[in-house]
Amino acid sequence: MTRRLVFLLFALTLSSTYAGELLVVVHKSNPTNELNKTQLIDLYMGKYVAFPNGEIAKPIDIAQGEDVKQVFYKHLVGLSLARVNAYWSRLRFSGRVQPPLELETEQQVIDYLASHHNAIGYISERNLTKNLKVVYRIHE
Amino acid sequence: MNKSGLLVRLAFVIIFAALAVGFVTGQIFYRITYLDETASAERSIGQLFNSVSRALSTAVYVGDMELTKEVIDGLMSNDTVEGVKVKTAQNQEMMFGNVGLTSKTFIIQHPFSPEASVGEVILYPDSEVISNRAKAIGFANAKTLFVQAAFLTIVAIFIAYYLITRPMINISKELHKIEPGQAHRIDIPEFHKSSELGLLVNDINNLLERSEAQLKEERGLRKEIEKLEQRFRMLFDNSISPIVLLEPKGNILLFNDSFNQLVSRAGLKFKRNFGELLVELFVDGELAIGALKESLSNDELATGELRIAAQTDAEIWVHLVVVSIVSEDYRKYYQITMHDISKRRVELELLNQQASYDGLTKLYNRQYAESKLSAMITLKQTFVIVLIDLNGFKKVNDEHGHEAGDELLVHVAKQIKACVRQDDMACRWGGDEFVLILNLNSKDPVLRIAEQLNERITAPYFLSKVKKQVTVGASMGVALYPQDGDTMDLVLHRADDAMYQVKREKETNPNMFIKFFEHRTG
Repeated sequence: MTRRLVFLLFALTLSSTYAGELLVVVHKSNPTNELNKTQLIDLYMGKYVAFPNGEIAKPIDIAQGEDVKQVFYKHLVGLSLARVNAYWSRLRFSGRVQPPLELETEQQVIDYLASHHNAIGYISERNLTKNLKVVYRIHE
Repeated sequence: MNKSGLLVRLAFVIIFAALAVGFVTGQIFYRITYLDETASAERSIGQLFNSVSRALSTAVYVGDMELTKEVIDGLMSNDTVEGVKVKTAQNQEMMFGNVGLTSKTFIIQHPFSPEASVGEVILYPDSEVISNRAKAIGFANAKTLFVQAAFLTIVAIFIAYYLITRPMINISKELHKIEPGQAHRIDIPEFHKSSELGLLVNDINNLLERSEAQLKEERGLRKEIEKLEQRFRMLFDNSISPIVLLEPKGNILLFNDSFNQLVSRAGLKFKRNFGELLVELFVDGELAIGALKESLSNDELATGELRIAAQTDAEIWVHLVVVSIVSEDYRKYYQITMHDISKRRVELELLNQQASYDGLTKLYNRQYAESKLSAMITLKQTFVIVLIDLNGFKKVNDEHGHEAGDELLVHVAKQIKACVRQDDMACRWGGDEFVLILNLNSKDPVLRIAEQLNERITAPYFLSKVKKQVTVGASMGVALYPQDGDTMDLVLHRADDAMYQVKREKETNPNMFIKFFEHRTG
């Protein structure tokens, strides 16, 4: 009995050190309420950079906090960041398709999302604000 | 060079085999190489696609035509690619280059989900280039193979020539020169001391050795046989006795000089066949040879005394010995040996004559006459007996001596011989008494003979020894058998009686000379 209790406590402390879920968010006014994984991949990997309703989308990456970006891409396409960079360098060659806009911090992303209603980004769950709408959840 | 010689044949066989094998393996090798090359070209096309698959996947995924074109251009720059067709999942099609005869289709994977596809690529390999390349490689391989085969052929021919053919040819040449029985032997060829060829040569030499020894032995034996044969020939040829070897049908197989001489002595011509057992050679041959044959049927040896049927006056008698021989191959032969017994025969005859003849007058003697008479009486043969006694002989004998008497007796005997016929017989009975045995049974012809005889005897005779002429008379008494007596003594006695009658009457009648026996009564 005591043993089980100790284990439970340990598990709780471990989970609390993590950032928790990654959330893909848009501006509250964006008509899109939900995205599936394929739609999200097409959006972020440059195939179809638009919301389901046809509105042009603007995906945002986070430069700082590589962890978040790494977790995001690992989950999305199963590639390391180096591979993702290689992917974009191949496409950048023709210049027709552009990679997502890269901002420095998570706060900047939140700020950018607040002022651009067609932007889309990913943030830690704890940084979620009221004017943002969650369209996809990434469970770790 | 001999067209059917070992080397030429071997070379031809090797060259043909090499050509055939070279051709077939070249063909097979070429085909395999060609297929290999084609397969490898196909594989390399697969690899070619793999090398661009990621870029193509990305380009098609994002629908970047520029990038897609770039990637396909890269593919097209390869020689082996004739054309490329790209089909996207949205049914967009792009064609580069030409459509080829064969094609290979690859799926363009989704860059992020491997199980999904974003389109497909159809690659048309340039089959001409591939095939040309394959042909070139295959041909080069075949060429190498051919050169190798040619080289091996030459090596094989050389090895065959130096190791097998040349020694074999040398052996056969040497063997060809060797005559059986010579001391010449074949050398073992180099490097073949312990090979099959060496063994062959050894065996040949052993065989030569043996045949030489055998020939030597045979030669020695032949010499011995020749010597023996010579001796036999000498024995046969120089034999005084004629010897003949005959076949049963009479063909002469072998004869010696003596036989030849015998035939020519008999005045006959030599023939290859004188009939069965030389029957034609003999007097009364059929009879004599028949007897010989009969005794040969019981015995293997038969003898006989035969007279040669000579064309000349020569009287040749031979003692014949016939031996029947059966040879090893069961053939029958007759060996006839003859001994000339002519001389002995003459002597015998002389002896015989002496026994039955009177030495002086050559008339039969009394002994012979008596035996003859008794023989005739036994056979109841009729005859007439004439007893002759000379008158005046004693006087001649006394006056002129025995020799003169003998001469006179011979003269009288001649007269008697001249008067009697062939069938009659005259003999000297003793002293000056003679007996005629005439084959008659009547008196008249006896009288005629007696008259003639009396005339001849009573004629004066000139004694050559004493040169004196003498005259004798004859008294003849005649008796007939069986009329006058049925025994010899009786008949002779009666003839004697008659003769004494004549003698008595002669005193009164000198012309009286013959009287027949008469039965006087009382």
